[in-house]
Amino acid sequence: MKIVKVQAEVDQSRCDGCKTCERVCPVYAVSVKRVDKKPVVNIDLDICVGCWNCEQRCPEYAIQMVSCTPFTLSVNVNDFDYGEIEALCRKAHVHPKQLVCYCTATRAEEVAAAVIGGADSPDKVVRACGVGAGCGIECNQPILRFLEAAGCSFERKKNSYQWYGRTVTAWEVSQEVKDAHPAFRFDDDKDLLERIVNAPIQDRNK
Amino acid sequence: MDLKPFAPAPTRVSQYGVDPSTISKRAAELEGITGLGLSQLIGGQPETIYPSDEGIKAVRDATIKTLEGVDFSKITNGSTVNILASHHGFTFMGGEPYSEMLRTIKDVVERETGAKEIRLRAGLGMRFRETEEYIKAFGLDEYFNGKAVGMAPIDAGVAIETKLGTLYGLKRAYDADFIIHAHNSDVREVHFHRQVDRAVKPFGMSYARCETRSTYHMNLGPRAANFVARSIFESEFVQEKFAFACFLVMSPAGAIDVDADNNLYALNDRVTAGGMKHYGKIIELMGAIKDCIVVLDFPCPVPYVFACGVIYANMVSANIDVFDLDSPLPPYTWYTETFYDHTGRPLLPEIPEINPAIKTVVHNYAWIGYPAVFFAEHTPTIMVGAEQAELFNRDPMNLNYMKHALLSDNLDSAIAFARKTSGTDKIMIFDGASGGLNVSQSLAEDLLRIAPSVCSRVDQVLLPKWLSQRNVDPDLLKMVA
Repeated sequence: MKIVKVQAEVDQSRCDGCKTCERVCPVYAVSVKRVDKKPVVNIDLDICVGCWNCEQRCPEYAIQMVSCTPFTLSVNVNDFDYGEIEALCRKAHVHPKQLVCYCTATRAEEVAAAVIGGADSPDKVVRACGVGAGCGIECNQPILRFLEAAGCSFERKKNSYQWYGRTVTAWEVSQEVKDAHPAFRFDDDKDLLERIVNAPIQDRNK
Repeated sequence: MDLKPFAPAPTRVSQYGVDPSTISKRAAELEGITGLGLSQLIGGQPETIYPSDEGIKAVRDATIKTLEGVDFSKITNGSTVNILASHHGFTFMGGEPYSEMLRTIKDVVERETGAKEIRLRAGLGMRFRETEEYIKAFGLDEYFNGKAVGMAPIDAGVAIETKLGTLYGLKRAYDADFIIHAHNSDVREVHFHRQVDRAVKPFGMSYARCETRSTYHMNLGPRAANFVARSIFESEFVQEKFAFACFLVMSPAGAIDVDADNNLYALNDRVTAGGMKHYGKIIELMGAIKDCIVVLDFPCPVPYVFACGVIYANMVSANIDVFDLDSPLPPYTWYTETFYDHTGRPLLPEIPEINPAIKTVVHNYAWIGYPAVFFAEHTPTIMVGAEQAELFNRDPMNLNYMKHALLSDNLDSAIAFARKTSGTDKIMIFDGASGGLNVSQSLAEDLLRIAPSVCSRVDQVLLPKWLSQRNVDPDLLKMVA
């Protein structure tokens, strides 16, 4: 869940049309077009999740984050069958009550609910529950793991710098790597993660 | 005991911190604060090249000297070369030593190889303009003829085939014929890297895309994750480009040398041994403190504020031995952070608690741009100044920080309240002071009393164990400064 307090605003006069803002937006809220040979940036405020990526990467400092009427990105877990949520979480190798986004404090169960509720691509997951709308870095893989666990496949938007792909998990490291590099304690760590995934849920509705 | 406090590291103008003019008082100015020299606490500290009487020239000289042992033959006069740097290097002693090492590498490579197309590519963490700020502050753009840029983990990526499958690097890190890995040996994020492949880590972090960083912090587990960097470094793609590594060698007292090698793993062994030798005692000493108030007072995000070369995140985890690889989880890592449920309870009983010696945190000056809510959730926190609170409220990574922190309008009131409510008068200040710790007199007395036994335990028991766990030859301890 994320409360969006700021959104992007562009100073068109400073834009040089490089499209960096368009490419780094995790929810595809930004588009840059040429009108009369001049770049025009459109930021769809119905989609913008206030992540600051465009503001932080614009080489011309043409984007500012400005206060907006706060609104919430969230999915109510209670609207879904919790058994289904729990099953999807375990399949994605996460515990339903564990954090998956440090910045927005979004827990796995909410991401699962977003996916079950129809968010079938990473940008839709971000827009649904706010996960990934903070640093935009660390929860990248959990989001992709949830989508894959739910059987969703998506095509990366052409020229985007987002969502390159899912990567290896503890459950997929080859035996050859484990045998060659015992100091990295692959199996011990996998066991730890496994115990987390299978830990009981306490006071689910507290 | 009443020694003059050390000068704290100066504040810095940055979009990630409040306007320095709003910081009305530094913690070192508090009544009763004393400067406790590192050499008083821990004997046998190596001499520093910076700070030293020679000034910044010592860093240039040390870089030139160590590069004499490097083979440059891969690089020719027509080669393009990327010197890869990382943001953390600029946070040591104001940033000038690391900057000077980078300048010197460029000069030496240019002279030795004739290569003219030498660029600086400076990776960063979560503050996507941070290295741009350093590049400007240290004139590196001019020095590199307009070819110095910051790289963020959301910039264009490049797929790298590794032993772990496909991982993703930053395209701009690798858009040259050859790369030079220019880093530092500070233990800093030992809670993450556990002093395993410390010298290799940036290949999975500063030079990597967010997919790779998320793999490190979310997919593999707290110790296994360190193989991410190694797998990228050992990939054919990177090996074809890798020329050599050059590191600013750090100790809690400052920079002690510059070390370079064509063989990153040889350098890694020296960094591993040196890091444990130089930082093990001060971290263990922090772990031996029974109770204190911590003051954050340094231009970095919450976990990265420094005291005697050690960051606050090290203190948060100092109630366990973070170098001991038999302990899977330090009290603070991003794995640990995810392992608490919605009620605040750990998901497993063995999840270690945050260092209970930290009774209260007074946040006098620390930056946004890193998710720090975990710290405020687990330790009573008092934020000083409404401007700083508002900065955190707007930061997408810290939207909930102030939900868990009290607000005070000045440092003195915050400290008075912290003393009253926590029941301790001991204060530890993380302000980047060079040469020692700024602490309350009561804590200084405690530290001096316990230091001899802590140091002896590290030398006799812990250091041999740490080295053995990493298969590092103990004789290397004699080689490192």
